[in-house]
Amino acid sequence: MKRYFDTGNRAITEGAILAGCKVFAGYPITPATEIAENMSRRLPEVGGYYVQAEDEMTGMHIAVGASLGGLKTMTATSGPGYILYADPYGWALGCEIPIVVVNAQRVGPVSGITGAPGQGEFYIARYPTHGGNAETIVLAPNSVQEAFSLTVEAFYLSERFRMPVTVLADQLVTDGWETLELPETREEIEKMGLRFKEREICRGPVFYPFTDQLDVPPVVMGHNTGGTCSDWTPTDEGYDTEEVEWAHKHSYRLINKVRNNKEVIRRYEEHFMDDDPDVVLVAYGSPSRVMISCVKKAREEGLKVGCIRPISLWPFLDDLYHRKTNYLVVELNYDGQLVREVQRCVPTGSNVHFFGKCGELPSVAEMLLQIKQILNGEPLVRSDNWEWEAW
Amino acid sequence: MGKRIEVLISGFGGQGVVRLGQILAQVSVDENLYTTMLVSHGTETRGGYVRTQVVISDAPVDSPVCEDPDFLVAMSKAAYNKFKPLVSQGVIIYEPYYVEQDHGLHCRQISVNAREMAINELGREIYANVVVLGYLTRLLDGTLSKDQVLKVMLQKIPKFHEENKKAFELGYSLAVS
Repeated sequence: MKRYFDTGNRAITEGAILAGCKVFAGYPITPATEIAENMSRRLPEVGGYYVQAEDEMTGMHIAVGASLGGLKTMTATSGPGYILYADPYGWALGCEIPIVVVNAQRVGPVSGITGAPGQGEFYIARYPTHGGNAETIVLAPNSVQEAFSLTVEAFYLSERFRMPVTVLADQLVTDGWETLELPETREEIEKMGLRFKEREICRGPVFYPFTDQLDVPPVVMGHNTGGTCSDWTPTDEGYDTEEVEWAHKHSYRLINKVRNNKEVIRRYEEHFMDDDPDVVLVAYGSPSRVMISCVKKAREEGLKVGCIRPISLWPFLDDLYHRKTNYLVVELNYDGQLVREVQRCVPTGSNVHFFGKCGELPSVAEMLLQIKQILNGEPLVRSDNWEWEAW
Repeated sequence: MGKRIEVLISGFGGQGVVRLGQILAQVSVDENLYTTMLVSHGTETRGGYVRTQVVISDAPVDSPVCEDPDFLVAMSKAAYNKFKPLVSQGVIIYEPYYVEQDHGLHCRQISVNAREMAINELGREIYANVVVLGYLTRLLDGTLSKDQVLKVMLQKIPKFHEENKKAFELGYSLAVS
């Protein structure tokens, strides 16, 4: 195992290379620029290709095209580019093309602030394109090391499910520096629990089968497969059709290959959840690091507080929120996104509160104050009198 | 070490704020300590605001936030004014050319005239961050070794090694009160 002190962007690059990524296409944007930069250096070393496009939409189209050509591919961006991915993301979902998409979230809306973290694309990652009729897979790292391992996992899932997988990071994870351990031997790779799946080629004649099963080989153009790919509803052999019956079958697969195989994706972390805590904190990504510190501090003070960190964000892990208690959801946005899903999942009689911060992480002290306000039955109020309960 | 050390460094883009954090953090990693470093900045390459937060610990670091810095290095007025309320028990090291000291604070404050020293002794302001690095290394004696900091500094700074070594010594040899 080799130890480095490096960024999440480097970790994502090395994860992609280890997973067998051979093509990167995209457009550099802070705080994901170094992914493009590092990939442009690393890919030629492993016989791969780096393409810088004229904008993000073209970048992802090229990446999706390369995957259709039979190579594992990745693209990376931030919020302003992720929204431009809407069209190619839809192609990749609809035509079941594996690709890994990294979004290093920064403060929004619109271009926001380049070098400051945000969590504004929780729902966009769930609904990255128009038309509905598809589930999505989203993983959220909270450290440099996890940015590495979840990138490897994203490639694995994208091959097995035949679809795009988003790694939803934030500026503090991608631009943040931490110890990064990279495996050098097969034993070290196994010890880290990393999973891999090689690219296979669908040889037809059924290219879009009416089934929820995993491990259907992806459609590849060329290679004498006879595979087809179009943005229209396909028959199972891949021909355009306007018959509603095929739309139903196609949608059934896109939705249920994910819904019926959720356990393959499922990842989360819990702390101090064994004694029915009075307050349960929930956060993903970089604020979850402060959350864990905060819960440890609260326990030292004798407060019955626990926390949940969803790592696989979508499909949402509804069952994690089965306890009837007080919840405090901490996010790097002011509008409250994750909190709405938690509210949907909790049993009747639970109280769901929201604490948002944007552009920088909240502190342990700030979070602890909110916990105490909840325990005392007081409204959550910011120092500038902005009531959090209004989410 | 037995505790967590928080170092918050902030100033303008181009002053070497991130480089300073990188060197300290890399030394900590080399000494098998747990280390995190967060970097936040504006859009500009030079002139905008930059902050780096380094946490060094002998246990895994959960929160990477410098909430109550042991060392706040303020290399601009904005940095000083924004982050001084965070420091309770720690030390503020500030650049007097840009910062006017707030005498109302209860924490220890040290003026390190790094800009002037860099200009007078080496002819360029660009070495000011390394003067501060030298001084910080002195304060962190016992946690990080001087030799190790110098070694990493030369790895991280590609050019002008002699000037940087001199700048480091200028800071390191300042009296620690």
